Amino acid sequence: MSTLAFRTVERDSFFTRLDFRPKLFMIAVITTVAFVWEDPLMGGGLAAMVLLACLAVGVKPDYIRTVLLLMFPFGLILIFTQGFFSAALITTLTGLPPSAFHMLFVLPSTWPMIGGAGLSWEGMQYALNIIAKSLTMTMVIPLGVFTTDVDTMIVGLVKARIPYKIAFVFSSTLRFFPLLFARTQAIIEAQRLRGLAFEAMGPVKRLRVYARIVVPLILGALNESQMLDVVLQSRAFDGSPDRTYLHDSRLMAADYALFGLFGLFLLTAIIGYVVFGVGRFTGVLW
Amino acid sequence: MPQAIATFENVSYMYPRSSAPVLRDISLEIRKGEFLGLIGPNGAGKTTLCLAFNGIVPQFYGGRFFGSVNVAGLDTLEHPISTLARYVGIVLENPETQITATSVENEIAFALENLKVPREEIRARIPRVLEAVRLEGMERRHPQELSGGQKQRLAIAAMLAVRPSLLVLDEPTSQLDPVGAQEVFSTVQELNRELGVTIVMASHAAEELAECADRLVLLNAGQIVDEGPPAKLYTQVELMQRLHLRPPDVTRTFHYLREAGFSIPELPVTLDQGIAAIKPLATACRLQAPETQRVPAPRDGHPLVSVTHLTHTYENGTQALQDVSLDIHKGEYVLIAGQNGAGKSTLVRHFLRLLMPTAGEVRIDDVPTRDLSISTLARRVGYVAQNPDNQIFNTTVEKEIAFALRYLDTATDEIRARTERSLAAMGLLDARDRHPLSLPRGERARVVIAAILALEPEVVIFDEPTTGQDYQGARYILELTKQLHDAGKTVIVITHHLYLMAEYAERVIVMGKGILLRDAPIRVAFHETDLLASTYLVPPQAVQLAQAVSEATGMPLPCLTPQEVADALACHTIGRSV
Repeated sequence: MSTLAFRTVERDSFFTRLDFRPKLFMIAVITTVAFVWEDPLMGGGLAAMVLLACLAVGVKPDYIRTVLLLMFPFGLILIFTQGFFSAALITTLTGLPPSAFHMLFVLPSTWPMIGGAGLSWEGMQYALNIIAKSLTMTMVIPLGVFTTDVDTMIVGLVKARIPYKIAFVFSSTLRFFPLLFARTQAIIEAQRLRGLAFEAMGPVKRLRVYARIVVPLILGALNESQMLDVVLQSRAFDGSPDRTYLHDSRLMAADYALFGLFGLFLLTAIIGYVVFGVGRFTGVLW
Repeated sequence: MPQAIATFENVSYMYPRSSAPVLRDISLEIRKGEFLGLIGPNGAGKTTLCLAFNGIVPQFYGGRFFGSVNVAGLDTLEHPISTLARYVGIVLENPETQITATSVENEIAFALENLKVPREEIRARIPRVLEAVRLEGMERRHPQELSGGQKQRLAIAAMLAVRPSLLVLDEPTSQLDPVGAQEVFSTVQELNRELGVTIVMASHAAEELAECADRLVLLNAGQIVDEGPPAKLYTQVELMQRLHLRPPDVTRTFHYLREAGFSIPELPVTLDQGIAAIKPLATACRLQAPETQRVPAPRDGHPLVSVTHLTHTYENGTQALQDVSLDIHKGEYVLIAGQNGAGKSTLVRHFLRLLMPTAGEVRIDDVPTRDLSISTLARRVGYVAQNPDNQIFNTTVEKEIAFALRYLDTATDEIRARTERSLAAMGLLDARDRHPLSLPRGERARVVIAAILALEPEVVIFDEPTTGQDYQGARYILELTKQLHDAGKTVIVITHHLYLMAEYAERVIVMGKGILLRDAPIRVAFHETDLLASTYLVPPQAVQLAQAVSEATGMPLPCLTPQEVADALACHTIGRSV
């Protein structure tokens, strides 16, 4: 994967032409709504919409697959922990006593320590709700960030009254991650070329070998950041917000429309939740 | 005489926590419109001197600074770097570390934005500087889409946009392939001659500096050893050799001729001068072709590496190799040459199964690589990648060498024995307890080679081993390859520095655009200049001089080195005065 392709989408679309400010607003709104909603169906729907939007604007399926793969073990742990151990929380949210839970299975009571514990359908639903929240919050970032050129992002952030230094640090971090990723790949490859058969190693041994990439990674990153500092200073960079910009960041009709749309969505979601209980956890999926 | 644009007065400098000064009592004047070359071995202080022009030394690094540097009337100690950046543009060695933006136009605009140049003015300057570095129309391109040479030209453009009084370039071509280096030199030369931009360039590229520079400054151990036009410095061949520097091949050739008794009043430093001077000499000689000492090993028996109709297409659709077939036998020394993107690395990565063929097959000792794991292959085929720093994972040299052996279930006694052998072979016994990353770059490369050798591979591949090395460092590594070859290993070197390989390789595989263009003994391949030019390779000047002699006399002269050319002329000389 090239470092270039890793951070930006290649497809030019309506979304890539938007200003960064409405996208930032969209990220904030979707994150807030995902945080508020507890209903797994609505949260799942929101996550699905965000995923579909990512695919539509050109975020690479490989990237989405990697995120899903990384989240998979986290999801399993959630289902296990929430399914078995969230009875008190579910009772608080739904008012249902544990005896009214729908148990998917119960461990034999003769088992020491964990005997009698059961995996409840309600607990699993709550786990699904957390998974959906996490997925939404994780994928809404690339939706906004990968569709924006880093230089344009800085201008957008500065216009959004974010201090220039912070905007610059943010954009530098975005530039830095793909380089770090490429360097990690190079180091792992170098280890394989020393005859190390990762496929034949147990997880502990593999982890010990992987851990060794940290030394060259950190030293390389330190060296590069010092070089970058030299380059920036040579180009009259001193972090001062008193500077000009090649590109202006002007909000167009589409940007205002996006602001309006997501403003409305936030308002509806909050009113729906507070007044009508839409998005609340009921423990009843259907 | 043109006015001085920068002056160094008795400048000495020590980096923080350093016990020795890296610059010692430097006094230097750079005149407006001049092209000044800085030469010297690695560690001579060239980079530090370059960084002193814009105040990075000492303002950014700290340390102890004596004397004064004055640029465009400003004392570099009294003005912030951001102010000095208006007057001094600086281009560094690695094109990758200089890119800060995600489009060509933003890259150029960055310094101007920092200097508060109005937007309209920035927009007006961008196309002008892009035209000056021949990158017109690339405003919207992502810098990562550019080649190495284009990236360096972009870095130059970004500096030019500020309209500096002085452009300082620190080894701008050392990481580039020949076409990239040529692009940078011709751009800089054009800026100097046509736009009058004052240039200071540190470089090991002797042939190019001899053509471009008005004056050279020779640095060693932080001191100016000598200065003057290229014709004065490069012709001091003994001094150059004593400082482990390489004068142009053409100068060395005439130096050897002079040693052989020819009367040569002035040693030439450029190829044109050399060709003009060698023709009358050649016609006065009965030439003797060099003895062909390095002939490829006999190719009987089954090959160690066999490539059959190999094609590789990357996921993005780039066809990197097309129907490549070749055999490499045990004990050969093979050079794989070609421009960046010619398919050299793609080819050898198939030997290690880092890539799988899209079509065709690669066999190692008659076993298809698809049937072998990377770890199995790595024990037979050692691969030394370009950047040693990505290949070091341990806290001591000894641990680094034993690292892989410990994970390969090698017996403890055997690990100890192999580690000792590798340490001794690479001259690292005294450094065994040091942290590998605390060693100089050349020694770090040796640590990596030692770690690979500990696996006792039959084939050792060196991928661009001389990139970023000075002449001494490059020769050291190539001498190691020779020792390995003499010890019976099969050695494969990938490089585009042909002038370094004349004394080492036996066989040359020339790649271009994923196609195997030529597979021939070095004496044949290096003299096929049109073919080499088709993949942007430049044969050594000695080869070009030999061809000029052949043209003048009608006798083929397959020489590769300055010494061979001199010997061919000196063997049967009719008359020795010129």
